[in-house]
Amino acid sequence: MMDDSAHSPHPSDETVRLDFTLNGEPRTIEVAPNAVLLDVLREQLGLGGTKKGCDHGQCGACTVHVDGQAMNSCLRLAVMCEGQQVTTVEGLARDGELHPVQQNFLECDAYQCGYCTPGQMMSATALLADERIGTDDASVKEAMSGNICRCGAYKNIVEAIQKSRAQLGHDAARKEGAA
Amino acid sequence: MNDMTQPDFDKPRVVGQRTPRIDGEFKLTGRAGYTGELHVDGMLYGYPVPATIANGVLESLDLDAARAMPGVVDIFHHGHFEALHRSPNSMAHGDMVNEVRLPFEDERIYYHGQYVALVVAETFEQARAAAQRVVARYREERGAVVGLLQTDAEGTLQESAGSSRGDPEAAFGGAEVKVDSTYHIAAESHLQMEMHATLAEWRDAGKRLVVHESTQGVFFQRNAMARVFGLAQENLEVISHYIGSGFGNKLFMWPHSVATAVAARMTGRPVKVVLPRQQDMTGGGNRPASRQRIRLGADRSGKLTSVIHDSTTETSLVHQYVDTCGSATPSFYACDNVSTSQRVLEVNHGTPCPMRAPGEVSGIFALETAMDELAVELGMDPVELRLKNNAEQDPASGLPWSSKHLDECLTSAARRFGWEQRNPAIGSMRDGDEIIGYGMASCTWSAGRQPCEARVELRADGSLFAACGTQDIGTGTYTIVAQAVAELTGAELSRIEVKLGETSLPAGPLSGGSMATATVLPAVAAAARDALDALKEVAVGSGGAFEGSDADSLSAQAGGLTDGKRRVSFEEILGTSKLSSVNGQGSAAPGSERSEYAFRSFGAHFVEVRIDPEISRVRVARVVSSIDIGRAINPPTARNQVEGGIVMGVGMGLLEKLDYDPRDARLINANVADYIVPTHADAPEIDVELLDYPDFKHNEFGGRGVGEIGLTGVAPAISNALYHATGKRHRDLPITIEALLASS
Repeated sequence: MMDDSAHSPHPSDETVRLDFTLNGEPRTIEVAPNAVLLDVLREQLGLGGTKKGCDHGQCGACTVHVDGQAMNSCLRLAVMCEGQQVTTVEGLARDGELHPVQQNFLECDAYQCGYCTPGQMMSATALLADERIGTDDASVKEAMSGNICRCGAYKNIVEAIQKSRAQLGHDAARKEGAA
Repeated sequence: MNDMTQPDFDKPRVVGQRTPRIDGEFKLTGRAGYTGELHVDGMLYGYPVPATIANGVLESLDLDAARAMPGVVDIFHHGHFEALHRSPNSMAHGDMVNEVRLPFEDERIYYHGQYVALVVAETFEQARAAAQRVVARYREERGAVVGLLQTDAEGTLQESAGSSRGDPEAAFGGAEVKVDSTYHIAAESHLQMEMHATLAEWRDAGKRLVVHESTQGVFFQRNAMARVFGLAQENLEVISHYIGSGFGNKLFMWPHSVATAVAARMTGRPVKVVLPRQQDMTGGGNRPASRQRIRLGADRSGKLTSVIHDSTTETSLVHQYVDTCGSATPSFYACDNVSTSQRVLEVNHGTPCPMRAPGEVSGIFALETAMDELAVELGMDPVELRLKNNAEQDPASGLPWSSKHLDECLTSAARRFGWEQRNPAIGSMRDGDEIIGYGMASCTWSAGRQPCEARVELRADGSLFAACGTQDIGTGTYTIVAQAVAELTGAELSRIEVKLGETSLPAGPLSGGSMATATVLPAVAAAARDALDALKEVAVGSGGAFEGSDADSLSAQAGGLTDGKRRVSFEEILGTSKLSSVNGQGSAAPGSERSEYAFRSFGAHFVEVRIDPEISRVRVARVVSSIDIGRAINPPTARNQVEGGIVMGVGMGLLEKLDYDPRDARLINANVADYIVPTHADAPEIDVELLDYPDFKHNEFGGRGVGEIGLTGVAPAISNALYHATGKRHRDLPITIEALLASS
């Protein structure tokens, strides 16, 4: 009942080579075989934007894109990303310009403490690119319900997402989010 | 310094205007830097080992397998730890802690999740893997106190936490109409998104300690750590730039911080500990369960003649925490006969601590549900009952309110909600297969204020700098400090840099109790005025931009000084006199106004619930609220606070409950999936109105603070709406599907 890790401990200190693409840049790193993608991002690569809120795939704070799909990075061993494209919140802004979703989060005050925010935005960009998800508020709320915001800024988050959709236009939004 | 008679901000330019957060871009790009993601050279990782029982003795720790794991540097526990001192735990002296017992202090286990060891290793993976190889053997004892709601024990009376006026017992005995009900609220988890985290580093050969902590109070943490380690406060620094919120459980220090600092000293290297979510929930604070009895007496017209509010809450076996449920009750309604009492029961849980609107939110659930019961007994509209008993002055102190507009909140929210369309007959309102219930409740939170210091610099490069040792926990403090400086100097917001969250800065308050805004802004304003005075002296001095003028003839305008004929920018004035900057210091504190007026915010929530009777599914469809918080310094962030409080209130009303095993008091649902909080899909349609009545008696900016009030009153509005829909009175929180099924 107090098993506070979803991951099997590995008794060895050997590492494994990992080739993958991170925010558009090819990277080759050595990782422990039991290292979780979330921890590798935060502790080994210094990308603290991806947050740890539960380490169990329950809160969504660690959401990243893997080959364009939103995923909980706490539920993936780093070695599973061999050859894959990983995008984190640090990869959303381009050339110093905030992504429209980031800009709308700023303008709609779609956050308070900011800790769940990167995960909210990664899920948001993915859902805007996902044609299976309806465009009405109820569909957006349903699709975003894997991302908990304990500050309760849900109303503003949905507003920011819908504003992004309207600004980008339907097709453009889908394309941006797929990046 | 604190002239209450002269409101400078009747027509503010920046204060009260919508201002996007100045720290927003850092949060949105991932560059903010919360404690758990910080790194320093040579840093080790700590991973605590939690007790798997809630009551007994740690008989042995087998560490051989863990020590043999790769990367392990050391393992700390009762037999291998520094001798330390407890903190005096004084609120007045700024060294209060959330748990006075030091980590590993003895081998007794008082609660599930209590730390029995801390493994320190080179990497996070190594520390976690080795922690799982620590074998603890316990002698578990029977008789664990599972929780307040699982026992009839009465607890210990807390004389100082009660109050009485008039003769409430006699008045209740003789009342024409009575309500006598008992309410139970389950323990809740703060579940702040960022777990507790500490990064401790000793410098100068162990003489100086630098701690990064996710905390709502850098100065409290510094002072407590100084006492624990026997150091001068000046030899410690606590830093907290970004906090993944706190909701009260990061106000005061917990044992993990002490364990981390000891590990850093004994290994000679910096150590970082981020609590796993499970341990954050078992040992990082909770809102204690409460049992409350409310007795209301009234005459046939609905005038209250007696209010008796008796409460019991939980504390742990290692720390005394009193969650005073009745603290708002004496001020809530005009009634001559009112008493409150408070008891505390020790249970085998991790130590409870303040959680958003501590005490009062629980007390208001009981009181405002009881008021709805009274309205039913009287056959009176619940809004009318509240208006009839509105307290025109503070009945607890006898003082006039500084500013109160509860009546307007009630009528305005009722109108926007469509309360007049409510058919009071039970279950009478339907939409297709759904039963609709309308309910309402009033809400309140005290308006406090603390002493504070601040510093403002005007710099030759045209930038401005403001500093205060308070924190921004997501409430928007960074931004309102910049707004205050912009208001005083006329400078553009983009030129203003704000530094918070360090004990090297002028002493600032806890981010708690909805007090930070009213506490910090007057000190910042005083510092800005002092900086402007310093600049005026420069400007009128020899070789200055206004040489020979009278300093009093100059005033700030658009980031410069003007004598009414010409304006010279701050940077030009400083450059002309070959200065890098001028520095202003300011302090502010509550004064004599506190003995002349009573300060409290009020508001009202109206709730629509919809129930699918086939499956007893309930959802909160709509919440309409009007809240009087004085002036909102930054309206979107203030409204966001209230909306977030309403969402948390939906959780308190329907979802949230820490579940302790009735056999052994272990916390069963210490994870984010089994402890249920509102998600996007649970969030109702929310319409919040903030009345705009600046309270200049409270402070020159007119703001009263907004963090807690939105949460209060939501849960009773939900329970009252459910009564309207079903005729079943729900007096226990959360109102689960099982409770709803039992009513059908």
